[in-house]
Formats: sequence, structure tokens, C-alpha cells
Amino acid sequence: MAPPSVDHTRKSMLEFDDFGLSPSVIGNDSVIKEDDILLVTGANGFVGSRVVATLLACGFKRIRCLVRPTGKSGFLESIVDKSKRSALEMVNGNLLSRENCSIAARGVSVVYHLAAGTDKTFAGCFMNSAVTTRNLLDAVTGESSLRRFVNISSIAVYSNEKMRRGDLLDETCEVETDLVERYDPYVYGKSKQDGLVLEYARTKGLPYVIMRPGVVFGPGKAQLTGRVGVNTFGVFLHIGFDNAIPLTYVDNCAEAIVLAGLRKGIEGEVINIVDDDLPKSRELLSLYRKEVRNFPVLPAPYPVFYLLCMLWEKYSKWSEEQLPPVFNRKYCEAYWKGNTYSNAKAKKLLGWRPRIPMDVGMDRYFAYIRKAGSL
Amino acid sequence: MKIRVGILGCGKVADQHATQIRKITGAEIAAVCDSEPLMALQLQERFNASRHFTSASEMLAAGKLDVVHITTPPQNHFESGKMCLEAGCNVYIEKPFTMNAGEAEELIDLAQRRGLKLTAGHNAQFTPAMIRMRELVGKGYLGGAPVHLESIYCYNLGDESYAKALLGDKEHWVRKLPGSLLQNIISHGITKIVEFLKGDNPRVVASGFTSPFLKRIGQDDIIDEVRVIIEDDNLMTAYFTFSSQISPTVHQFRLFGPRNSLLVDDDHQVLIKSENREYKSYLRYFVPPFLFAWQYMENFNTNLRKFIKKDFHLPFDAGMKTLIESFYASINGNAPLPLPYKEIILTARIMDQIFDQISHKQRKTTGKKRPIKQASARSRLGTAR
Repeated sequence: MAPPSVDHTRKSMLEFDDFGLSPSVIGNDSVIKEDDILLVTGANGFVGSRVVATLLACGFKRIRCLVRPTGKSGFLESIVDKSKRSALEMVNGNLLSRENCSIAARGVSVVYHLAAGTDKTFAGCFMNSAVTTRNLLDAVTGESSLRRFVNISSIAVYSNEKMRRGDLLDETCEVETDLVERYDPYVYGKSKQDGLVLEYARTKGLPYVIMRPGVVFGPGKAQLTGRVGVNTFGVFLHIGFDNAIPLTYVDNCAEAIVLAGLRKGIEGEVINIVDDDLPKSRELLSLYRKEVRNFPVLPAPYPVFYLLCMLWEKYSKWSEEQLPPVFNRKYCEAYWKGNTYSNAKAKKLLGWRPRIPMDVGMDRYFAYIRKAGSL
Repeated sequence: MKIRVGILGCGKVADQHATQIRKITGAEIAAVCDSEPLMALQLQERFNASRHFTSASEMLAAGKLDVVHITTPPQNHFESGKMCLEAGCNVYIEKPFTMNAGEAEELIDLAQRRGLKLTAGHNAQFTPAMIRMRELVGKGYLGGAPVHLESIYCYNLGDESYAKALLGDKEHWVRKLPGSLLQNIISHGITKIVEFLKGDNPRVVASGFTSPFLKRIGQDDIIDEVRVIIEDDNLMTAYFTFSSQISPTVHQFRLFGPRNSLLVDDDHQVLIKSENREYKSYLRYFVPPFLFAWQYMENFNTNLRKFIKKDFHLPFDAGMKTLIESFYASINGNAPLPLPYKEIILTARIMDQIFDQISHKQRKTTGKKRPIKQASARSRLGTAR
């Protein structure tokens, strides 16, 4: 497939700099060599495109990018330099097709599985996260060349129900098991996806690493994370004022993901990705209102919002879902209870450091939103 | 009486069905089936269905199901419907009922021969506002048969759940239907008109095109703007409009009678009466607007009262629940079929004609055959009656 032309306007809006990892990462500490085949699913997406760019910066020569045949240009063409595109093999396909999966999986050494369902429905999220992952796993486990399967999950799959506010939420915490009660299609899809990866590890010896990024932000994404609050009711409700927001800048996140596919001795690990110096909810909101646009905010203390969610949940049940239980206690706890986060494991196992500091990342993020016309 | 339900096809629409079925007293989701085992499993898990299957024949053989809901892509509706009827099950088939009118007639014929019931997923016919409209018409509010009808059915291409999936996937099953997007959507708007048509062979004049918006984003294989004129044996006329570009998105049905008229606004669950009253001089500019405002307030009250009584679920969900309940009641012998078979067949016939005409015009204009094409059983329709 001929490489698409670069959209320079968009490229400048995305404001990326040179990707931080260098060819030195492919050394003795790497499970693969520079001419091994790497597969990136969701390569045209917000994070996937940065993963591809980082892999190129590392010097990999055979990067297979699986992208959906949408007819739309994605992030990839805006980010990847024309001069480096000979290292890319573009595969148009859909992971729902086993045939497409077989083509994409042929001869791969490392899979970076970033494609995911973001649909608003349970069936849609499940289909595009779990069914697709199963198809991909079936295809790659047949490849003798496979060294690592990097599964991109989400920090949202944890349950903090038994934790107190402010407790550390890290890789040792329980994941959500009561997925129907939580009523969160994205988490439902992601949890089932993780479950499949663990099953294939158990039954077929899949050499996996599960990465659980926090809220990925940066140029290319215009939304303010819902962990700050909700504006479902026509006014922005700010919830959990002092909560740490588990952000990770898109380039930092991509670098951690890339390293997870390379480092030796980390098979079977689950690694969370958050940056250093996480802002508090009130700080992030205040910056956003100052740098992007101001809007009316109604503060909703966490206990008050928790009570509202409990009432909503009970009303939903009583009224046979006249209002669906989109706000419920589990959901409220997961997003607004307020925990602390750690990237110690990522730093230790991957040798990763968030290269773009939080303040620089924020500047770029806000500049992008201003340019893009925003919300 | 207990109704044992099976669901065939476990995608997004199946969720809507399962949600409504479990609200119905006496109904039990006994089995779910999808050729993709994971999809079957997730529906079973989330809705506590008794069993899951990956083969329709296995599901049908495993135990007596009273009714099967077919929620697969429409390409399978005919074969699946036939299989279920032959296994002795009553069948609810999602819209579009079949790929063409010939298949619809064959299925209905089979159901009748076997003493079983069939219905189509025309749940928009049973929204609270549509039901109120039907009650008024039944009481003679229009003053006779309608003179003219107008059905406007818009589609929001920005819809996250469905349109995004369609536009983002050149291989999406909707694109492979003979009528593409139209075939999957317009039955809701057409069947509103069909309910009032007399005779079996309405005359149809249709025109359709791709909106400039879709052309601009490179989706010129989808026709998303359609205008149709329909005329029945009694010279009652109807206009049908389908649009993806009208904003805000509108789902309205207007009935113009010889004495009075009605407007059903399905988006806001509003029913407005337009009465033939004369007001002297300037009063016509003050009294009717006030009375219209009063009617809107009455609609507000009706909706609020229903909401407080937990009887105001989203209109299409409420419509589906009413349709399913009525269908189950008809299976139990307590009520007539919610949708007469004639309505299902006529809807399919009119859709066939629309696709046929649009396809023909496209061929004449571009010299190319577009995705909308002559339905395969079209020739059979001419001799059916």
C-alpha cells in the first residue's frame, strides 16, 4: 500500500517532538532484534500512532500496522515521517475477521494490541474488545516466532470498592468482577479482553504483558477526562476536588508500551502507566478553564455525589430502568472515590521514565484543544 | 402463561430485546444463540439466560421455545424465520422483516399453515404518542379516512452506536443489503403510512440521492436522502421523507383528515390535534395559538404523569415492550396480532419499489449499478395478488 501523504497542518497541531526512545533499547535486554516483525493493532489511533512512531525511533525495520479500512485518515499519517515509512507495512483489516488476523499475525515476534471497542453499547464494546482479541490470540499463538503479546488494558478495570479514599491503587489491587452492576461497557469489554489473555497464557503459554494506562492525554484528544466531573445534567458537576487524576501523556504512555514489548523477563506481569506529578482534580479543572475556556461549574462533594448515584441506582431498579443505571455506586467509586497511584513497577521493570514532564504535556494538550476549536 | 423465549443473534439489537423481555411478566429468556460463541456467552451472562448455543438448529432442538426473536443481520431473517417456524416456534423478526416482499409473503404463509404467529420489529408503531394517535383515529377524530399522510423519518449519521460503525466500516453488513442504509431504517417510517392504506398495490414514486455531506466524506455509495409519494386504491396520498441531513433529527407523522388533523411528534412524544374551528376576525391569530400552547402543556402533563408512574421508558424501548407484550398475548390467544400481516407485506412491497426505482434512476444517471438494486423476488410480487 502506498504511504499516505503527510497532513502538515494536522502534524503541527499534534505538536510532537522526536520520540524519546533510541535504537539503544534494542540491545541485550531486548526479546527481539531490529529486523523482527512487530504488529501494532489500532495503529491509526491516538496512542497506537505514537507507539508506531516510537518503534520507528527505536530503529525497528519491520512494523506491521493493522488499521481499519475506514477510508478516513487517522493519526498515523500525521505523525509518521515520510522518510521512515519504508519500515511500515500497512495492513487494512478488521480484527473481527479471522482471515485478516491470520494475515496480520504472520511471522510476528511482538504484538502491541491497542485496538479496542469504545462503543456505547455492551455488545459493541465486547465485540470490538473481546471477540477481536480472541481472534488475534488464535492467530498469533499459532506463530512460532511470537515472543511477546502486549495487551493494552485500562486502569479503569480495577475495583476500589474495598479501599478507602486516598489508598494506593496499584497492580496488586483487585479487578472489577461485578461487571453487570458497574454498568460500564468499556470496562466490560476490557475486562473480558484481559480475561482472554490470561486464559490463553494458562492454556497455550501465551507470553503476555498487560499494560494498564491511566487517562491518556495530549495533542489529538480534545476531551477533558470524566474523572474530573460530569456535565450530563446541563451543568458541569465537579466531583472529588482533591482526587489525583491518573494521567499519562500520550508519548510517555507510548514509550512504556513499547518497552513492555522489548524488555526481557517480564512475561506475565501487569503494569500500570501513570506519569509523575499527577495533578489534583481541582488543579486540572482550573487549568483547563484558564487555558481553554471557562464554563460554569457546580461543585459536588464526593459523598453527595455518591448518595446521588445510590439513589439513581435504586430508582433505576425500581423503575425497571426508566433511567438506566449509568450512575451507580460502583461506577462512582471507580471514577471519583479518589485514590493515589504509583508508577514504581513500570519504572522498575521497564526502566521507563515519563520523559515529557506534566507541565509540558499540559501546555501541549491545551494548545492543541485551543487550536482544534475544542469541545 | 409462561413464555419461553429464545434470542437468535446476540449483537446490539439483542440487548434491547433482552432488556424488554425480562420486564414482561411470565417471559423467560430460555436460550440465546449466536454463531460467535463469545457473543452468545456475553448475552447469557448479562441477562441470566438459561443456556447459550452457537447453532440455531441446536437451540431449536434443545427444548421447546414458545417464541424466538431473530436479531441477526437481515440477510438471515428469511432462512432463520423459516427454520424457527418449522421447529414449531412463533417468531418475532427484527426490521427489516425480510430482504424483499416475496420472502415476507412466504414466511407469513408458512406461519399461517402451521398455526403459528409472526411479527416484525416495527416498534415505532407502539410509542406512547402513536398509541394515543391510534385511539383518537379509532374514535373518528379525523372525520373519516385520512386524505393525506406525511411520514418524516430522519437518521442521525453522528449516532455513536450505529452510524459510526456503519460509516467506519466499508464491509459493514448494512452496506451489503440490497437497499443499503435505507433497507435497515425506513421500514419504521413506511409502516406508519401503510397502516392506513387501502388495497394491495399502492402506487409509489420514489427519488433518492447521496447527500453532499456523505459525498464530501467519501461515502458516496450510500443513499441517505429519499423522497417518496404513495397513492392507494382510494386515492389517499402520502409523502415519505427520509433524511440524514435535516436538523434537528425528526421523526414525525401527520394525518390530514376530512374534518380534523393530527401530528405525532415521536421525538418528544407529543400528539397535537388540529381542529377545524373558525374564529372570527383577529381571534384566529390569538385563540388557536393559545389552544396549541395548551395542548403542548397537556402533553407535558401526560409525559410527566407517565414518568412518575415509571411508565415512560425511552419511546422506542417502550414501543418494543408494548409490541412484545402484545405479541405474546396474541400467542397466548388473548389478543389479535399487534401488526396485521397485510401491513408487514405492504411495507416490504413499498420498500422493494423504492429501492427498485432509486436503483433504476441511479443507473440511468451514472450508468453504474448502485448498491440499491432490484430485489430478487420482485417478479413474484406482481403475480402474488
